[in-house]
Amino acid sequence: MKNAGLVMAWRNLWRRGRRTWLTVGAMVFSNILLVFSMSLQFGSYDMMIDNSLQAYTGHLQLQHPRYLDEPRMRYALADVAGNARLLRERLGLDSISARATGFALASSKERSFGLQIVGVDAAHEPLVSTLPGLVRQGRYLQPGASEEIVIGSVLARNLKVGPGDELTFLGSGYDDSFAAGVVHVAGIFESGITEIDRGMAQVNLEYFQQVFAMDGRGHSIVIRAPNIEQVDTLAARIAALGIVDNDKVVLRTWEELQPGLRQAIQADMTSAWFMYMVLIVLVAFSVLNTQLMSVLERTREFGTMMALGLKPARLARLVMQETALMTGLGLGIGIAGGFLLTWYLSHAGFSYPGMAEMAERFYLPDRMYPALSPLSLTLGPAVVAIGSLLASIYPATRLYRLSPVAAMRAV
Amino acid sequence: MTAIRCHKLCKTFRQGDETITGLDHVDLDIDSGEFVCLSGPSGSGKTTLLNAIGGLDTPDSGEIRIGELQVERLDRGALADMRLHHIGFVFQSYNLIPVLSARENVEFVMQVQGVPATERRQKAAGILHEVGLEGMEDRRPAQLSGGQQQRVAVARAIVSKPDLVLADEPTANLDSVASTQLMDLFAELNSNHGITFVIATHDKRVMRYARRLIKMRDGKIISDKAN
Amino acid sequence: MRPGTWQFSILLKLSWRNLWRNRRRTGIMLGAISVGVWAMIFMTALMRGMVDDMLAQGIRNLPGDIQIQHPAYLDDPSVVNSIAEPGGALLEALQNDGAQSWAPRIRVPAVIASERESRGIELIGVEPGVEQQISGIPAEVTEGRFLESSRDNGLVIGARLARHLETRLGKRVVIMSQDPDNNISERGYRIVGIYHAEIAALEESRVYAGLEDLQQLLGIDGRISQIIVFGEDYRDVQSRYLGLAAVLPDGLDMRPWYRIDTYLAAMFKMMDGFVLVWVIIIFLALSFGLVNTLVMAIFERVREIGLTQALGMRPSQIVVQILLESLLLLLIGLAIGNSLAVATVKPLESGLDVSVVAEGMAMMGAGSVLYPTLTLHDLLLANVVVVVLGILTSILPAWRAARLDPIRALNMH
Repeated sequence: MKNAGLVMAWRNLWRRGRRTWLTVGAMVFSNILLVFSMSLQFGSYDMMIDNSLQAYTGHLQLQHPRYLDEPRMRYALADVAGNARLLRERLGLDSISARATGFALASSKERSFGLQIVGVDAAHEPLVSTLPGLVRQGRYLQPGASEEIVIGSVLARNLKVGPGDELTFLGSGYDDSFAAGVVHVAGIFESGITEIDRGMAQVNLEYFQQVFAMDGRGHSIVIRAPNIEQVDTLAARIAALGIVDNDKVVLRTWEELQPGLRQAIQADMTSAWFMYMVLIVLVAFSVLNTQLMSVLERTREFGTMMALGLKPARLARLVMQETALMTGLGLGIGIAGGFLLTWYLSHAGFSYPGMAEMAERFYLPDRMYPALSPLSLTLGPAVVAIGSLLASIYPATRLYRLSPVAAMRAV
Repeated sequence: MTAIRCHKLCKTFRQGDETITGLDHVDLDIDSGEFVCLSGPSGSGKTTLLNAIGGLDTPDSGEIRIGELQVERLDRGALADMRLHHIGFVFQSYNLIPVLSARENVEFVMQVQGVPATERRQKAAGILHEVGLEGMEDRRPAQLSGGQQQRVAVARAIVSKPDLVLADEPTANLDSVASTQLMDLFAELNSNHGITFVIATHDKRVMRYARRLIKMRDGKIISDKAN
Repeated sequence: MRPGTWQFSILLKLSWRNLWRNRRRTGIMLGAISVGVWAMIFMTALMRGMVDDMLAQGIRNLPGDIQIQHPAYLDDPSVVNSIAEPGGALLEALQNDGAQSWAPRIRVPAVIASERESRGIELIGVEPGVEQQISGIPAEVTEGRFLESSRDNGLVIGARLARHLETRLGKRVVIMSQDPDNNISERGYRIVGIYHAEIAALEESRVYAGLEDLQQLLGIDGRISQIIVFGEDYRDVQSRYLGLAAVLPDGLDMRPWYRIDTYLAAMFKMMDGFVLVWVIIIFLALSFGLVNTLVMAIFERVREIGLTQALGMRPSQIVVQILLESLLLLLIGLAIGNSLAVATVKPLESGLDVSVVAEGMAMMGAGSVLYPTLTLHDLLLANVVVVVLGILTSILPAWRAARLDPIRALNMH
């Protein structure tokens, strides 16, 4: 019996073929657009986060509780190198590195600039940050070497120095003492992020601690998880180790370290969903119109069927089945079309005028490659389908108002 | 004076696999002011002939002249103009535009012709009075009986003084009283205004009004004599 | 009687009345069009407001519609790449548009040190009188005062910087910067004012001092870093630019804002493109329903169309009648949609608070309050696109209706 109903529903759809196709067309159009757009969105969010975090910030950092709001020299962690090593052993993870940060005025032969000096563990820093791999001239720091420095490309240009040149720097150390040193430039890195390329320089951690009178202290232990999905579990494990203590050490997640990222994504999501909802509502209107007209046209026919003994519920189910079939068509073709389009673009890439400049700001490459995922492929079409089915409830309920005699007299 | 001259009209239709002969080398001359009935069983070709004369359908071959116009050579636009200015139609049913009132239906053709509003109103009012429908001008077709609707259709057909009125089974959906009223009206218009009437029908009562009766069968004229 | 005219009044009457023959269908279609148009305009107003704000702020922070400086300065903003204060023809050209339309500036990297901390900063030497125009700073001074003259020896720093340095109004700090011979000049300053800026990063890095005072500190008498030029409308700098280019001395580099900050320029260009794409996407989503409605309406009226053909209506008139029907539907939908949009945007024009994503907005260069903006240009664009595309979409069904064979049409059931 059920199958007979479906067959009838199917045939009813094609009594007015063009109308059915136009309604399905609206669904297909929206679905393709949604699949493409969501693939683009979800893919780029992950990329944005990853790119910006891997440059320098990492996924998690252990810091002094007050350091995040007030990055001062004296809000430091004790024995930062030792603790980093301990953490590496306990977690069985190598991508953990200690840092100490200070400010200094650096002078070359021709120029002077204020910059941020970071003391890094040259052996482990490459595991938490991509900077060491982005050295364009010269080389990165050698573990254990003193008196060498790597600087950003814009800084190098502004100071007018190249590898091998000398820099003197002047700053204040942990105990407000005078910190000064002379280093030579080992290498120049280029991250593409202007703030880093213009304002950062790195030296070996021991050398930093020595010059700035840190006495073994540092400012952060940077932790990078194997991938972003594992950050939460990793954080839990670290918390379980019992080293986190609200007075001396706290664990900061990347969302706290770079709140702008999560928020920019949220803002983008919200506006995107607003637009998606508008599309879905418009499709629902289309379905409502079609199904309502379809029901009203068949008043006489339905009246006859009711006179023959069919209950309104049965007829309502028929109408819903018709909608379901149409929606199924729209879903199927839409997903297929969306898949093809997105798959093609995920290889060919996709860009529009003005994108390159936008992309730089958000740590994205200047050509986008939408990333298909089960979610992006099905979420949009699923919501469209639900909206369409909901829209056909009203036309279906009209059948409960039909009285057979009146219906059959209708023209 | 506008006369109708048909010469060797041929028209065939295809229905599925079969070929049906609509008109088979029909010759016909009708002078202006005549009152002619085309009769015959369905499929005899009377409707096809009517449609051809009215420019609603193009014959496969043959000639039709109405006055100066060589009908079979006119394009769609010119045919429309011909129907607009020279011919009035009354169909069996569905003669009126549902969204317009009786008066507006009558004014319709004049409006398309470009007749100014005041003149239109006067003429429409006059003609509706003549066909006996004053008081019903503002009703829509759905609010009029079958006979009343036909009378509005007639009013519309003649209000702009066409040369020719073509009617296809105008009484088919009317009861005998309404039919008689309608045919009396036709006859009156024919004698008072000199309008040529060509009526396709198989209603014997209608045929009584004809002054010339043309019988058709299988696309041919089989008899043509005064009544 | 003129053949070829369309007799609009009867066509219009038919179109209007036919529209309301099926009130439910027309009503639903109108609902869809209204929602679509509302979404077009509402979203556009939000985006436009955001982008306008971003651009205005961005250009204010550059600063300026046009900047004039040493050719090497933008790459290497050092005191070494300074230029002479404007004189002669250039000065005249600058003054032409009013004394309040340009300003000299010094901007060099420096180090500020309090008792506890030091920071790298942008040290900016200004002429206080004009500074309001450029950066709006004096208005945002939350404590103390702004600089009183170009010779003022006080310092105005951002609230965040003050906090970082653990210093406050009235205290002294040391400023260190490089002079043209790469010697470090340093001097003590008293903080006379504290300001607040929309964008946190700027509040942390920009420090203001008097222009002449800085010239002394840095040993660059009569020289400045940049000439900042600005006008009424950032959208239109061409004429000013050309006027100045004519008298620009050799050796000076002049750039309009869109060549200095390519991100802003891209935003500016993209905005119009985005609006168009959004409008078209919505229209396309609506178009399926529009064609469907029209086709259904025509289908129901086939006999009537055959009748009007029999009565002598020309094919072109039938096309026009159907297009008019579509047009009326669109116009009513547009009217409702536009009204809804205006009604929902107006109350928000005083600002939509999005401070919950403030840092995210800052990443994009926008502030934490959105001011939706309805512009005539955007309204016109949406309406014109809907009408034009709507008519285009309706042409095919209308044309096919006109080509119906009258006999077959009349005999339809």
